[in-house]
Amino acid sequence: MATSLVRQTKLLSIVSSQLNPAACFRNIHCTAACLKNRAARIREGKGDKSVTYEQAYHPHHIGHRKGWLSQHTSNLQGEDGAAERVVEDVFIRRFMYGTFHGCLADEVVIKRRGNLLVICAVMIQKLLPSKFYFLIGYTEELLSHFYKCPVKIEMQTVEEKVVYKYL
Amino acid sequence: MASSCSQALKQHVCKSSTILRVHLQKSWPKRSFVLNSAADQQPAVSSPEEIVIPKKKTWSKEAVLQALASTVSRDPTASDYRLQDDPYLTPKTSSEFKLFSLSQESGKNAAKYFINTYPKYFQKDYAQPHIPCLMPETLEAQIEEVSEAALIERIHMRKVKAAVDLYDQLQQAGTPVSLDVTNQLLDLICFYGDSDPAQENVPEQRNEETEDVQDEPQTKKGRASKASDQLKAAWKENNNAERIFALLSEPNTHSYSALIRGMVKYGAYSKAFSTYTDLLNNRLKADVNTFNALITAAPEVKEKYNEKWELIVDLLKELAEQKIKPNLLTLNGVLKALRRCGTLGKSQAFPVLSEMKALSIDPSLASYNHLLGIFYKPGAPFLGQTDILQEVMNEVSGKSFTPQDPDDAQFFITAVRICLDTKDIEQAYSVHELLGVGENWRLLGNDLQQNIYYARFFSLLCMMENIDVMLKWYRDLVPSVYYPSSNIMRDLLQALDTDNRLDLIPQIWKDIKQLGHANRQKLVEDLLTLMAREKQDQEVQESFAECALDIKKMYDTGDRGKVIMSWTATSLSDVISVLLAAQRRQDAWEILKLFKTHNRVPSEELLNKFLTCVTESGEVNHAVELVQISAGFCLPETPKLIQRVQQEFQLSEQQKNILSDLEIQTFNSD
Repeated sequence: MATSLVRQTKLLSIVSSQLNPAACFRNIHCTAACLKNRAARIREGKGDKSVTYEQAYHPHHIGHRKGWLSQHTSNLQGEDGAAERVVEDVFIRRFMYGTFHGCLADEVVIKRRGNLLVICAVMIQKLLPSKFYFLIGYTEELLSHFYKCPVKIEMQTVEEKVVYKYL
Repeated sequence: MASSCSQALKQHVCKSSTILRVHLQKSWPKRSFVLNSAADQQPAVSSPEEIVIPKKKTWSKEAVLQALASTVSRDPTASDYRLQDDPYLTPKTSSEFKLFSLSQESGKNAAKYFINTYPKYFQKDYAQPHIPCLMPETLEAQIEEVSEAALIERIHMRKVKAAVDLYDQLQQAGTPVSLDVTNQLLDLICFYGDSDPAQENVPEQRNEETEDVQDEPQTKKGRASKASDQLKAAWKENNNAERIFALLSEPNTHSYSALIRGMVKYGAYSKAFSTYTDLLNNRLKADVNTFNALITAAPEVKEKYNEKWELIVDLLKELAEQKIKPNLLTLNGVLKALRRCGTLGKSQAFPVLSEMKALSIDPSLASYNHLLGIFYKPGAPFLGQTDILQEVMNEVSGKSFTPQDPDDAQFFITAVRICLDTKDIEQAYSVHELLGVGENWRLLGNDLQQNIYYARFFSLLCMMENIDVMLKWYRDLVPSVYYPSSNIMRDLLQALDTDNRLDLIPQIWKDIKQLGHANRQKLVEDLLTLMAREKQDQEVQESFAECALDIKKMYDTGDRGKVIMSWTATSLSDVISVLLAAQRRQDAWEILKLFKTHNRVPSEELLNKFLTCVTESGEVNHAVELVQISAGFCLPETPKLIQRVQQEFQLSEQQKNILSDLEIQTFNSD
C-alpha cells in the first residue's frame, strides 16, 4: 500500500509539475511518526522542574553516562526471546508502579540471572517498614507464580527523591 | 639382510606388542583410556585402609553452588537473609524483627489468596521443566459425585468433615468402601482429631471453623500455631473415628493403629490401652507405630515409677514377641518415659542406649536430649554428674544430624541450660561448635527457642568469661542473630563492672537505646548506679555526663503526657553525682530542683557533695539556696549544712539573716 501511494504521489507531483512548471514540490508524508528525537527526554523549562539523573540524560547517553534499566541476554547473537522479555519488563514496571504507589524514587531496574528475576527498586521512605515488607512479600509471591520463575526484590530506601538538576 | 632385520624387528615388535596387549588386557580389563592414570595410583600393597577409587563420580546439581557457599561465612553486620539490606528496613529490636518477618509472610499469604481465587490468570506455563509449586492450588474438591474417588480426593485435600460426610453418604447408598480407603480416612480423622485443620490463607472460611470442638477464639485468626491448638482439643466420646471404626466389619492392623495413635495424641490414654487389648483379643498383630504411641502413653496411665517401667517393659516384650523391629522413635519414647520415672530412669537409661546400639539404630539428638533430661533435673543439685554432658558431647561432636524426632529441637537449649547451671564454659563452646557443623543449625528450633538458647549462652559468657571475649561474642552475634533482652544487658553491665571496664558504659547505653530497652526502670537504675559509684578520668567522666543527660531525657514525660519511668531518690542522686563529677554544675542544679517536683528526698551525702562543689565554684547564692532546700525537706543535717556554709563562705547580711532564721527553725523543730 505504501508503494502504491508513493507511486501515486510521484504521479501527482509529475502531473502537478507539468501543469504548473513553477510549482513547488510538496510531498505527502506517509510513514508512521516515530519521534525518535523526542523520546525519553524532558525538555528544558522554567527551572522549577526537578529531574533525577536517569531522567536528565537522554537515550543517546545510554552506555556512556547511563546504564541499562533492563539486563538480560536475549539480545545476544543466537539468543531468542527478546520480545517476550520486553513485554514482561513493561508488565513488571507497571506492576511495581501500581503496587508501591507514590513510593518509587526512580525507575525500576530488572536483572535476569539464569532463572532468577531480580527487581531492584529505590523507594522513598513513605510507608512504615512493615508495610514495605508486606508489599515485598506480596509482589515476590505473585510475580513468581505469574512468571513461573523465582522473583526477588532488592530494595533500597531514600528519604526523598534524589534530584540531579532542575530544568 | 636389512629386510630380514626389519622382518625380525617387525616380528619382534609384533610379538612384544601382542605380549603387551595381552598383559594390558589381563590387568586393565574394560577400562577407558581416561582413567589409566587413576589406575596407576592404585597401591599394590593392601594397606589397613583400603583406598577404593570409584570408577565415576557423579555430582549433584547444586554441587557448584554448595562449594561456593562453603567459602562464605556469616556476615555479622548483616541482618537475617529474609530481610532487605537497607538501614530503614533493618529491624533493631526483636519485636521489630518478628513484625517485619510476619508482615512479609502475610504479604505472601495475601498473594496466595489471589492466586488461588483467580487461577485462570496463572495457568500459562513458561517453566521447562514444570515447577509444580508455582501453579495455583485447587482448594475446592473437583469430583462432585458420591464415589470412592471423590473420598480419596477429599482425604488428600485434608478436608476432614467433607470426607466424613461423603463416607456416610457412601454407606447409606450401599456402595462398599474398600478397607484401604477407610484406613486412610481413619488416619485423617485421627491425625486431625475429628476437626478440620485451621485454614490460614482463606479468611472467609473463618466462620465455618467456629462450629468446631475448639473453644479458643484464637483459631478464628488462623494463627500459625495450629498444631498446639489442635492438641489442646480432647478426644471426644463416640466421635467419628470410633463410629467409623465400629462400622468396619474386619478392622485390620492399620485401622487399630490409626485409632490408637489418635487416642494417644489427643489424650485418651486409657482408651488407647483398652483398644490395644481389643486388638490382642482379635489375635491381630500391632505395628511399630502403635507400640510407639502406647509407650508414649504409658507414663500417663500409671502413677508409681516402677509400675510405669513395668508397663513399658511389658510392651517391649510384646513387641519382641510379635517380631516387630523397634525403630528410633520407639527407643526415644522409652527414654522420654524414663524422664518421668525418677531414680529408676537413671539406672535404666544406659541399658536402653546399649539396646539402641545393639539394634544398630543411631541415636538422634532427641535421645541425647532425653538422656540429659534424665540426669540433669532442673533445679536439682548436681552431684558429680558433669561427666554425662561431657560424654554426650564427645559422642556428638563433629557429627551432622538430620531431624528425625520432634524432640530433636530441644537438645541445644537443654544442653546450654545444663552448661549454665553447672557453669561450664568449655562445654558451652563445644555445644556452640556443634551448632556450626553441617545441617545442625536447622535443629535449633523456631525463633523462641533460638532466643532462649542465645539468652542462656550469653548469661554464661557474662558470668564466666572476661570482658574482651564477651565483647567479641557480643559483636559477632548482636544484633544480626540475637536481640538481647534487658536481663542480658544487666548481666553485661555486671560483667563490665567485674572487669573494671566502666568506660564502655556509654557505648552499651547506645546499644540499649537501639534495642528498645531504654525504658526499663531496673536496667537504667543499674546503669546510673554503676556510673555514679566512682570518679573516673576526665574524658570518661565527660562521656558519663552526656550519657546521664541522655538518660534524663528518657524520664521526661512523652508527647502525650505518658510517664514512662518514674524517678527514684537513688536515680536522681546518681545523676547529680555523675554531673557534679564532670563539673556540670548548672545541669546538676536543675536536676536538684526535680527532687521537689517528684516528691523525692535527697540524701545527706548528696547535699554534702553538692556543697563541696559549690564551695569550689564559690557561688554563695547557690549555697544559701541549697540550705533552704534542705530546710524545706526538714532534713536532720540542715544545722550541719548551715554551719558549714557559715564557715566556708563570706555571707552578706541578708544571707546571714536567712541562715540564722533557718537555724532557729530547725532548732525549734528538733
